[in-house]
Order: sequence, then structure tokens, then C-alpha cells
Amino acid sequence: MSINKDTIVAIFLLLFCGIMINSSFDIEDPGYQGMKASFWPTIVLCLLSIMSLVMLVKSMMASTDSNLNSENTNSQNVFLKFKNASICFLMFILFLGFLDYLGMLIGGVLFVFGLLTLLGGFEIKKIINHLIISIITIGIMWSIFTFGLKVILPEGEILRIW
Amino acid sequence: MIDVILQAFASIVLDPVTLGLMLVGTLAGILAGAIPGFTIAMGVILTLPFTFGMTAIQGLATMLGVFVGGFSGGLMSCMLTGIPGTPSSVATTFDGFPLVRSGRPGLALGLGLWSSFFGGMISAVILVALAPQLAFLGLEFGPWDYFSLIIFALTITVSLSGGNITKGLIAGLLGLFAATVGEDEINGVARFTFGFDEFKQGFAFLPVLIGLFAFSQLLTDVEDDKRAKSPLMSQSGSVVKVEHRQAILIILKRWVNLFRSSFIGIFTGILPAAGGSISNILAYDQAKKASPNRSNFGKGEYDGVIAPEAANNATAGGALIMMMALGIPGDIVTAVMLGALMIHNIIPGPTFIQDEPLLAYGVFIAFFVAHFFMVGLQAFSLRIFLLVTKIPMYVLASVILAYCAIGVFALHNVVFDIWVMFFFGVIGYFMKKLGFPLAPMILGVVLGKLAELNLARASGISDDLLLFISRPWSLFFLLMAVISVIFPFYQEARKDSLFSKLYVPISMIVLSLPLFLMGSPVRMIVSTMLVLTGVYFLYKRTSSLKTT
Repeated sequence: MSINKDTIVAIFLLLFCGIMINSSFDIEDPGYQGMKASFWPTIVLCLLSIMSLVMLVKSMMASTDSNLNSENTNSQNVFLKFKNASICFLMFILFLGFLDYLGMLIGGVLFVFGLLTLLGGFEIKKIINHLIISIITIGIMWSIFTFGLKVILPEGEILRIW
Repeated sequence: MIDVILQAFASIVLDPVTLGLMLVGTLAGILAGAIPGFTIAMGVILTLPFTFGMTAIQGLATMLGVFVGGFSGGLMSCMLTGIPGTPSSVATTFDGFPLVRSGRPGLALGLGLWSSFFGGMISAVILVALAPQLAFLGLEFGPWDYFSLIIFALTITVSLSGGNITKGLIAGLLGLFAATVGEDEINGVARFTFGFDEFKQGFAFLPVLIGLFAFSQLLTDVEDDKRAKSPLMSQSGSVVKVEHRQAILIILKRWVNLFRSSFIGIFTGILPAAGGSISNILAYDQAKKASPNRSNFGKGEYDGVIAPEAANNATAGGALIMMMALGIPGDIVTAVMLGALMIHNIIPGPTFIQDEPLLAYGVFIAFFVAHFFMVGLQAFSLRIFLLVTKIPMYVLASVILAYCAIGVFALHNVVFDIWVMFFFGVIGYFMKKLGFPLAPMILGVVLGKLAELNLARASGISDDLLLFISRPWSLFFLLMAVISVIFPFYQEARKDSLFSKLYVPISMIVLSLPLFLMGSPVRMIVSTMLVLTGVYFLYKRTSSLKTT
């Protein structure tokens, strides 16, 4: 018996299924004839639980995942591996969090500029390039959607006050 | 009928706006197909937000342009640099690149280009001929049959998406579960909303799809610091003059290979989940087996270029057949097209061609026209491709991430959709990292509501669950589902094992039963042929087992 990445994922999935099955008991039954609203999700969750259990058993019977024990799992390597993805997550959360204040135009420019600079590097020449790229690309996209496709993109409080 | 076709023709060919959109779409598709790491599905998904403001036919025509362009775009990068732009052009590299290196880049590009064109044209003819017939067949389906068909579509996606079947099934089930969040369509009851009003509408499937597929892909693309900062391609190739006339003559002389490869492509396209990535290798393999110059393969053999390129473009027509006739998307691209139709309140199904003939024939005509654009734009797109390849991935990814956010917002004008895209993007990224295939999850999300609706209809008509196995079509699809689940084990089994030898003949015999139960003379003949062939294989294989 061994513990590897799949074991952890399977346990997480089983927990998820447990919570969702428990939550399915709260689904209201309006008393109409025919299939109840909770029937289909319950079937799906039961099947998902069974498959997660299969995954758990298979993972425990498999040989130990070398990744869990090797140097790949030390915190520095994990950080390096997911550094760029984490930057993207963080920038996207910031972009969405400030969307109401900055709007799509300013927020979009800042998001692209920030992401380009964090991913591409901080040299002066690059920063200027990143600024130009972010203004031009977001400007074009914003214009296409606002004027071409008549989509009312979030204006943001800053532009509204201005 | 003729007046509908003429009207559809006019709505595409005589409308400069639609033509212009198709032109841009095809160009974008060629570029998306040519850039390694950028799949055709990604191209079509990114086109989707632009289609919200268009009419249904304009939106579909634009996406068809991207779809067709994407299949032929892959040949540019694989021939000029030896790196396949998309998985559907992997086999083209085997002989295309050596042909270029032997000093015939113009001929190599010409062969690829015109094989794509002819393959696409053949599949377009089959699409027009077969889709309405298959739709008539679909009219025989009851909710039991539809439910079983969806189960089959999901299981075959799981088995063909590669990797661990348990993880594939889990991904598919997660997709089905994601589709249950929000008010259910039958009773209008809220499910799994946890008190959040935003959840009541459920997860709109396009933000989920863009998140799972495009967002997670972009995160993967920038993962490696060094790769993210270097230009998309280190070898960028150079502009070459395509030898059109000679290429056409060579292809027409090898018409058997062209037709065989095109039919392989169409058949693979009809099968759910089996797309161009499989068809190009299958066609190449068959061309090699059938060729008298087998030893030349891998050294720049013309047939080795014609086969994969004809097959991958023909796959597009095959994939459209299923979507148009039955409303079941076979892959991510057709799932996006289905989504585009739903935005315009059009639900494809067996009655789609009858109910929306103008739109259906418009799709057929747009598919033809896109192939002409693809040929016309190749030289121009080659120049743009050489420019695009100089851009580093992190620039492209950052800009596209912002574009995804704007595009998703444009769907319903709510910020919640962007959060949904982000949430599923993160899920998709980690699922990929943990070895879960994403295609089953995407199809699960797309087909989940349809599956539940048909199950509810079936249970509303009758409580008898045996109808799922007593109705021939339902039984046929359920058996196909079982066979497809076992398929990965067949692939892994040793060739001389008993299981490996019995899988195909027993599958044939088993599938003949529902066909026989259908009753019509043609299906009974097909059923008898299946039984006879199965028994023959069974006899041959078991007797070979005895001798060994």
C-alpha cells in the first residue's frame, strides 16, 4: 500500500461527493409527477463516488509515486513549477476584484501590463514595450466590443466619476 | 428545396459581410492551426465571443472558416519547420518535412494544400448527402435512445481521450455534475446553490468551456519560464511559392489514396471524440500499407502528404454530420458551435434540418466556401504566420487571457461569468496536471442537461426501466458504450492474448442483435453480415490460438 498524488485526489473527490450528496438532500421536492429534481444529480454523484473509490483503491495498490518523495516536491521546486501560473491566478483575481472600480478598459490595460511585466521581466525596454502592447491590444478589443458589437463593458467607478 | 438552397447560397455568397467574416475567420483558423500549442478548438473558442453580435448564420460561417482554416494551417508549420502546428497534422510531418528539405517546398505545400481542399470537398458532399438521412434516422429516436446515445458519446470520449479510463470517467461525471448546478429545467428547483443567487442560473456552458479549455491551456503554455519568453518557434521558415498546377496533377493521379483517406477522415469525424488527430495517422498508415513505394515513406513520398492532409480536412465534415443530424457534438469544436447556436435559441437535433433549412443549408454552403478561402489565403497567411512566430508565448497568453475575460462578459453582460471562467480555468489546469483528460468533462457539461431532460422524459412516459434495453436503438448505443469502455483495455492487451483476439468478433456479434431487432430489411442484412463476419473472425482467431 502506498500514498501518492492520486490517493490524495481520490480522497478529496470522495469528500466532495459526500458534501454534495449531503447537500442533495436539501433539494426541494415540489411534489410534481415524474423525475425528482434530486434524482439525476444523486445518480451522477453516486457514480462519481464509486469511480473515486476505484481510483483510491488503484492508487493505493500502485507503486509509490516517486514525485511525492523526490526532490520535485520540495517547496522551492513546487513554487518554481507553479510560479507563472500563480502569477496569472493572482493577477486575474486582482483584475476581477477591482473591475467595479477600474472598469474593463483601465482594468484590462493594467492586467495585461502587469501580467506581461511579471512574466516577461522588468527591463526598461521591455516595460515600455509591455505598456504599448497592453494599451494597443486592450484598446482595440474594447473598441471592437463597445462600438462594433455594441456590448456595454463595465465602465468602472473611476471613469464614471471622471 | 431548391429555393431554400438558393436562399442559403445568397445568405452566404451574396452577403459581403458574411463573406468578409468568413475570410477573416479562415485566416485566423490557418494561423491558429499553424502555431504550435494553439489548437483548432482554441481558435474556434476564441472566435465565439465575436459571434454574439452576429446573426446565427454569420456566426456559424465565421466559425466554420476557423475550423476549416485550422485543419490546413497545421501543414505550414509542420512542413516548413518540422513542428506540427496541431495534432491533426502530425503525420504530415513524416513526409512533408523531408520533401521540403529535399528542395521541393513549393510542391510540398501545394500537395498539402490541395489534398486538404479535395479532402474537404469530398467530405462536404458526404455531409450534404448524409446529414439529412441521418437526421431522418434520428427521428426514430425516443428519449430512451437519446439518453443512451449521450452515454455512448461520453464513454467513447473517455476511451479515446487517452490515459487512465478511471480518470476519464471521473472527468465526464464531474462535467455532468457541473451541469446540474442551478435551477433544474424540469421542476424549476434550485440545486447546489448554497444560498448564492448567482448560482441559480447555473454555470453558463460557454464560460465553463472557455475556462476549462482555453484558460487552462494558456496557463500551461506560460508555465515554463524559458519557453514562455522565447519566440513561438525558433525555426520560422521562409516564404515559398506554391506549385499549384503540379500538385493538383499529382493528387489527381493518386485519386485512390485521396478518396480512401477522405473516407477515413469522414468516418473518424462521425465517431464522437475521434478527431483529426486520429484520422491523419490512420490515413497515413493505410496509405503506407497500400503503397507500392512503401520504402519511400518517411523520405518525402507524395502519398504520405496527400493521405493525412485529405483525412484531417475530411474529418471536419464528418464531425459536422453528427452535430447537424442529431445535435450531439462529437468534439470540442462542434460543442462550441452547438453553444453558438444555443445563443441564438436554436437547438440542433433530428428536426434541425427540417425546422431551420436556411441555416442548415447555409452551414453546408459555408463549409464549401471556406475551402476556397483556405486555398486563396494560404500564400498571404504564410507571411503573417512568419511574423506571428516571432512573438513570445507570454505576450500572446497575457493578451488572450484579457480577451477571454472581455469575450465571456459579452455573453450575458455579467461579471459572474468571468468568475466562472476563472474557476473552471483553475480546475482545468490542475486536472491536466493530475492527468485527467478535459474532453470528457467538457462534453459532460455540454450534454449533461440534455441527458437529464431525456431521462426525465423517458421516466415521464413510462416507469419501465427495461425500455432502455428493450428498445433496439437504446440497446445499440448502450452496447456501443460498453464496447467503448472496454476499448482501452483492448488497446493495452497483448496482441496474442485471448481477450485481444476475441474483442472485435464478439463486439460485432453483440452489436448485430439490436440491429436485427430493428426489423427493417436493410438493417437485418447489415446485422446478418455483422454476425457472419464476427463468426468468421472468431473461427480464424480461435483456430490460430489452437495452433499456437
